[in-house]
Amino acid sequence: MIGNRVAQRRGFRSGVIGAVGIMTAMLSHAAAGADEPQASPEGVAFFETHVRPILVEHCYSCHSEDSPRIRGGLVLDSKLGWEVGGDLGPSVVPGDPENSLLIEAVRYEDVLLKMPPEGKLSDQQIERLVEWVEMGAPDPRVGDGAMPSEASKAKGWDDPEAIDLWSFQPMSDPEVPGVSDASWPESDLDHFILSELEARGLSPAPPADRRTLIRRATFDLTGLPPTPEEVAAFLADEAPDAFDRVVERLLASPAYGERWGRHWLDVARYADSNGSDENVAHGNAWKYRDYVVEAFNADRPYDRFVVEQLAGDLLPEPDEPEEARKQLIATGFLSLGPKVLAEPDQQKMEMDIIDEQLDTLGRTFLGLTIGCARCHDHKFDPISTADYYALAGIFKNTRTMDSFETVARWHEHEIPTAEDLARKAEHEAEIAEAEAAIRRLTEEANARLIAEGGEGFTLPEKPESLYPEETKEDLKQRQDALKALQDEAPEMPTAMGVTEGEEVADLAIHIRGSHLTLGEVVPRRVPTALARFGSPEFSASGSGRLELARWIADEDHPLTARVMVNRIWRWHFGNGLVESTDNFGVLGTGPTHGALLDWLAHRFVEDGWSVKSMHRRIMGSKTYQMSSDPDPMAAAVDPENALLWRMPIRRLEAEAIRDTLLAVGGRLDRQVGGSLLTVENRGYFFNHTSKDLTNYDTDRRSLYLPIVRNNLYDVFQLFDSSDASVPVGDRESTTVAPQALFLMNSDLVLRVASDLAADLLARGDRDDAGRITLLYERAYARPPSAEETARALAAIDRLAEAWQSDGGADAMDEDALRRESWTALCQVILAANEFVYIR
Amino acid sequence: MDQIWPRVWNRRQMLRNTAAGFGSVALSALLAEQSRGEGASSSNPLAPKAPHFEPKAKRIIFLFMKGGPSHLDTFDPKPLLQRDDGKPLPFAKPRVQFAETGSLLASPWKFRRYGESGIPVSELFPNVAQHADDLCLIHSLHGTNAAHGGALLMMHTGSDTFVRPSMGSWITYGLGTENQNLPGFVTICPTLAHGGVRNWGSAFLPAAYQGTPLGNASVPSDQAQVRYIKNAKLTRDVQRTQLDLLAELNGDHLDDSGPDQALEARLDSFELAFRMQTEMPEVQEFAAESPETRRLYGMDDPVTADFGRQCLLARRLAERGVRFVQVTHSDTAVQWDQHSDLKVGHEKNAREVDRPIAGLLTDLKARGLLDDTLVLWGGEFGRTPTAQGKNGRDHNPEGFTMWMAGGGVKGGYRHGATDDYGYYAVEDKVHIHDLHATLLHLLGLDHEALTYRYAGRDFRLTDVAGRVVTEIF
Repeated sequence: MIGNRVAQRRGFRSGVIGAVGIMTAMLSHAAAGADEPQASPEGVAFFETHVRPILVEHCYSCHSEDSPRIRGGLVLDSKLGWEVGGDLGPSVVPGDPENSLLIEAVRYEDVLLKMPPEGKLSDQQIERLVEWVEMGAPDPRVGDGAMPSEASKAKGWDDPEAIDLWSFQPMSDPEVPGVSDASWPESDLDHFILSELEARGLSPAPPADRRTLIRRATFDLTGLPPTPEEVAAFLADEAPDAFDRVVERLLASPAYGERWGRHWLDVARYADSNGSDENVAHGNAWKYRDYVVEAFNADRPYDRFVVEQLAGDLLPEPDEPEEARKQLIATGFLSLGPKVLAEPDQQKMEMDIIDEQLDTLGRTFLGLTIGCARCHDHKFDPISTADYYALAGIFKNTRTMDSFETVARWHEHEIPTAEDLARKAEHEAEIAEAEAAIRRLTEEANARLIAEGGEGFTLPEKPESLYPEETKEDLKQRQDALKALQDEAPEMPTAMGVTEGEEVADLAIHIRGSHLTLGEVVPRRVPTALARFGSPEFSASGSGRLELARWIADEDHPLTARVMVNRIWRWHFGNGLVESTDNFGVLGTGPTHGALLDWLAHRFVEDGWSVKSMHRRIMGSKTYQMSSDPDPMAAAVDPENALLWRMPIRRLEAEAIRDTLLAVGGRLDRQVGGSLLTVENRGYFFNHTSKDLTNYDTDRRSLYLPIVRNNLYDVFQLFDSSDASVPVGDRESTTVAPQALFLMNSDLVLRVASDLAADLLARGDRDDAGRITLLYERAYARPPSAEETARALAAIDRLAEAWQSDGGADAMDEDALRRESWTALCQVILAANEFVYIR
Repeated sequence: MDQIWPRVWNRRQMLRNTAAGFGSVALSALLAEQSRGEGASSSNPLAPKAPHFEPKAKRIIFLFMKGGPSHLDTFDPKPLLQRDDGKPLPFAKPRVQFAETGSLLASPWKFRRYGESGIPVSELFPNVAQHADDLCLIHSLHGTNAAHGGALLMMHTGSDTFVRPSMGSWITYGLGTENQNLPGFVTICPTLAHGGVRNWGSAFLPAAYQGTPLGNASVPSDQAQVRYIKNAKLTRDVQRTQLDLLAELNGDHLDDSGPDQALEARLDSFELAFRMQTEMPEVQEFAAESPETRRLYGMDDPVTADFGRQCLLARRLAERGVRFVQVTHSDTAVQWDQHSDLKVGHEKNAREVDRPIAGLLTDLKARGLLDDTLVLWGGEFGRTPTAQGKNGRDHNPEGFTMWMAGGGVKGGYRHGATDDYGYYAVEDKVHIHDLHATLLHLLGLDHEALTYRYAGRDFRLTDVAGRVVTEIF
C-alpha cells in the first residue's frame, strides 16, 4: 500500500476545505460541547503522566496554536484539536487505536504519514499512546476554547484598549496644523497637505489654468466633458466665486448622481446578472441602481443611506409611499451578490450567501475583510471566528432567498404604487363581476331545469350538459373570458431585497468554515474589538439587522465615516488617503495623512453626513485646484506623489471613456433611469449553447448598460471596470494592447470618429484650421497651438495619401476621400492620451 | 495617527502603472533570463520569466470536454459494473448528489488493450487508443461540486465559491510568454455559460494575464476571432500613418506630464496591437498546412472538421510560443452531458474529437513538440455508474479520469483507481488542487511559491491544498 488511505483522506479533506474557502489551515479553539462526559481521574492521571509529555516534546512544535506554522492543519494542544483533526480528518478515534490516524502515524505504517518525522518514538511510548486511545482517550483539556478563543485572547483582542490598529482607535479632531507659507492655503484642508509637503521640503504645484480646472471638475462630478460653451462661460466669468458656481452647477446636474452613483455601485458590487454558475438576470436590480443615483442627487445623508441599504425594510414606514418603496429597494444591496444557485448542498449555499453578505458589508462600509474569519480567527485583524458567526447569525435570521432548491430563487419585495394597487383592485373587481354573472347564469338555468323536470327530478352534479344550446354557448364564452381575464392579472412590480426570516436564532461556530462541523453557539453581537464604540442589544424577536445598521451608521463608529470620506477622496484624486480603500485592517496601507482623514471624517459627520458638502470642501481647496505640472525635484523625493505635490494625472474609467466618445461625437442620449435589459427577470443570459443575449447597442450613458457578470461588456472589461462580483473602491487603470485594438478597430470608435468628422466638415462657417480648433475644443476642452493646427492639417494630407497608396481609395471621389481623411484624424485625436487622461 | 505611513509599492501597483499588455520585444529578450521576484522590475508583465526549477514542459494544451465525459465508458473499464448491470450499487451514494440515480448501468462499449503498455481504451476512442503508450491516465481525479458551473470553475480556477484567477492566468503570470506578438493564454471557442469568462479570467491578477478568447462556443471555429483584431475599413497604410501621428501627440502629452510609466506604456501598447494584427491572422491561416496534415486532424470530414481546426490551431499557437492554449469541445450543447441516451450522445461526441485529438498527438510528436508540450484531456467531472432514467448517467465529481500526454509525464501509465464500480476515487486519489499543483510543477513552478498578494493576503492557485503527483513523471 502506497499511502492510499492517507491520500484518500487528504484528498477528501482538501476538497471540503477548498469548497468552503479556508484561507489557511488554522484551527480556532472552539469550545467543546457542554455535555461532554468528564474524563475519570485515573484517565486524566494517565494522560498527564504518559501522554501529555510525549505530545509536548514530540508534537507541539508543529501541532499547536503556538507553532510558527501549523502543519497539516492539526493541533494537538487541545482535545478539540485531535477530535476535529487536521487535513486528514480526526486523529484519534477513542477506543479504537487501529482506526486512529495518530497511532498509524507513530507506528510508521504508512509511507506518507510517519510521525514524528525526525524519528520513530520508542516502542514503549507508542504502547502508551495505544493504551491511552484504548482507554477512550481521556483528555482533560476540555473548555480550552471558551469564547473569545484562546488564540484571540493571546492576541489581546478581548481587550480593545490594547489593540493598536490605527483604524480601531476613536476618531480624533485634530488641530489644523500651522504652515510656513501662510499665503498658499485657501482652506483648512490645505494646511494639512502643505504642512506635510513642507516637512519634506516640497512645495505645491502652481494652480491649474481655468480650462484644465473646468475639465477636471466636470469629469469628476459628472463623468462627462465640459462643452466648449461651458468652458467659454467659465473663462469669461471674472467673479471671485466663478469656480464655486461651476461646482454648484455640476452638483445640481442629474449627471452628478449618474457619476457618483456609479462609484457607489462599484462598492455595492452591483450587477444585472447573478454570474457565478447560473448566470440569470437580476431583472429588477436596476431599481436599486436608480435608487442609488437618486440618493446621490438628493444628497441623502450617508448615515441614512447606510441604514436603508442594510435594514430599509425594518425602518418605520414613511408617509410618502415613494419613500417607503425606496426603503425596500435599498435592501437590494444585500441581495446583489453572486450566488452559486445550483449548489447541490443547500446548507452550504445558504452559508455561502451569508458569507458574501458579511464580506461585502465589511469591505463596503467598514473597510474590513470580515470574510477572512469564516474558517479561522482573522490572521491579522482583530476579528475572531466567534465575531464572524455572531454577525452571521443576523443574516441567518434574514430572508434573502425564497428557495434553495436548484435553481435557487432570491427574494423580491412587492413594491406596488397606488396606481398599481388600484389596477389590481380593479382587475379583482372585474373578475368578481364575471364570476357573479356566471353564477347567475347557472343558477337560472338550474332553476329552469328543476322547474321543467317536475316531480322526481334531481339536479345532477354536473347539469351543464342538460342546458339549452344557447345557454351552453353563453356559459362557455363567459368562462373563457373569465380565464382570459384571470391570466391578465396585472403584475405587481417587485424589487430584489431582503426581509426578516421566519425564526430568530443564534448561530453555531462552523469549525473551519464547514457547516458539517459545528461548535459553540454564539449570541448575535458586534465584534468584540469594536464593542467599545457601542454594543447594541440584539432583539430576540428580529434578525438584528436594524441594530447592526444603526451601530455602523453611528457617528462615533471609528470606521464608517473614515472609510467613506476616504472613498470620496479616492474618487476625486485617484488615490485614497488610505490607498487600500476597502481594507482599513493591518494589511491595508494605512493613511498618508492620518490627521487629515480624521479631520475630514469629523467635518463629514458635522455636516450631517452630506456628500455634496464634502465635494465643496475638497474642490474649494487649493490642493484640488493645483496643476499636474511635473517637478523633477519633488518627483525624486516623492515619486508616487503620495504627498500630493501636484494633482495626479488620472485615466478616465471605462464608463467615462465610452460616454465621452458618444458625447464628443454628438450622439449621447441623456435619458435618465430605467432598464435596458433584454432578458426577463431570472432568465439566462447564456444558455447551454453560449448564445449571447446581451445587447449593448444603445447611445444611453454607460451607467444604464447591463452589467453582466462573467461576460462584461467589452468596453467595461477592457478598461478595468470590475467584474462586479466583489466590492471595488479602487479600480485599476491598466494599459494593455487590447485597449489599443479597441480604439483602432471597434465599430464604436470608428462610428464616433466618422460622426465627428462629418459634423466638422459641415461647419461652413469655418475653414480647416477653424475645424481643427473646434475638434480640439470638443475633445480636449482647449484650442490647439499653431503648431498643433499645422501638424493636424499636414496629417490630413498624409492620411489622404495613405488612403490612395494601396488602393484603399479606389472607389472614392474627392469628397469621400476628404471625409475619410478627416475621420482618420478624428480617430487619432480620440485615441490619444490627452483624450483619456485628466490632469 | 499623524505619522506618515510608508506606502508599500507591491508588484500589483507596479504592474498597474506599467502593464504593457502583450509586452515589448526588446525588453523581453533582455529580461528572459531574469528571475522572478524583487529584482525583476520589467515593465512588461508578459516577458518570459525563469521558472522556479527545471521544467519538464514549456506549455500546455488543454483539451476540455465540456459536460463531463464518462470515465466508465472511455478509459476506466469496470468488469463488475458489466457483471452487475441492473443491480443496486452495493454501497452508499454520496451525501450530496446532483440528481437521483437508480441501479448500475453497464457500459454499452467494449474495451481493448492497446500498445505495449496494454492500456485499455473503449471503442469510443479507437484513434486516441493508438497513442496508448504516450498516455498517462489519472483514474482517481475527484472534486466536490456536482453541478456544471461549480465544477467548471473548480477545474479552471481552483474555486467554485470565490472569484479566483484561472489556471492559464496563473501560468502566464508565473512564466510570461515566449511570443510577444501573441497573447500568452488563448482559449479557443470557450463556453460562455457555467462561469463563462471567469474560466479564463485573471480575477485579481493584472489584466495582462487574462485569457484571450477566440470566438466562443456558439461560433464555428473557422469564424472564431480575437475581438477587434480586424479593421474592416482602414488599410494598413492608413493605420500606420495614424499611429505615427498618435505617437507624436502622445509624445507631446508625455513631455507636459513628466515621466509616467502608464503614459509610456500606452505608447507601446498601440505598436503591440499593430503587430498582433499582423501575426494573429497568420496563425489562423492554414494555407501552409499540407493536405496530409489537414487530414490528420480530420479536417476532410464534416464530422471532425470543426474540432480538428481547433486542434490544429492549438498546435500552431503552441509552436509560436503561446503558453497555455485551451480547446473546448462544446459547440451547441453541454456536449458530454448524457443524462439520457448515453450511447447516442457519447458516440457522437467521441466521433467528433477522436481523430482530431489523435492527429494532434501524432503531429506534435512528429514535430518534436510533444516533448515539452503537455496535452491534458478531460471534463469537469465524470459520470455515475448508476443509471439516470433508463439509459443515462448523472454527474459524478467523486471519481473520474483525465489523461495527459507529453510534457515529461510517463507514457503508457495508469495512476490511481476508482472503486470496483467506478463511483469513487479510492486509490492514490488526486484532487483537482493536486492536478493544479502537478501542472504547475511540470512547468517548473512550485505551487506553494507561486503567490500573488491581494486584499492583504498571498493567494495561490491551489488555495491551501495541493500535492504534486510525483508518481506520474
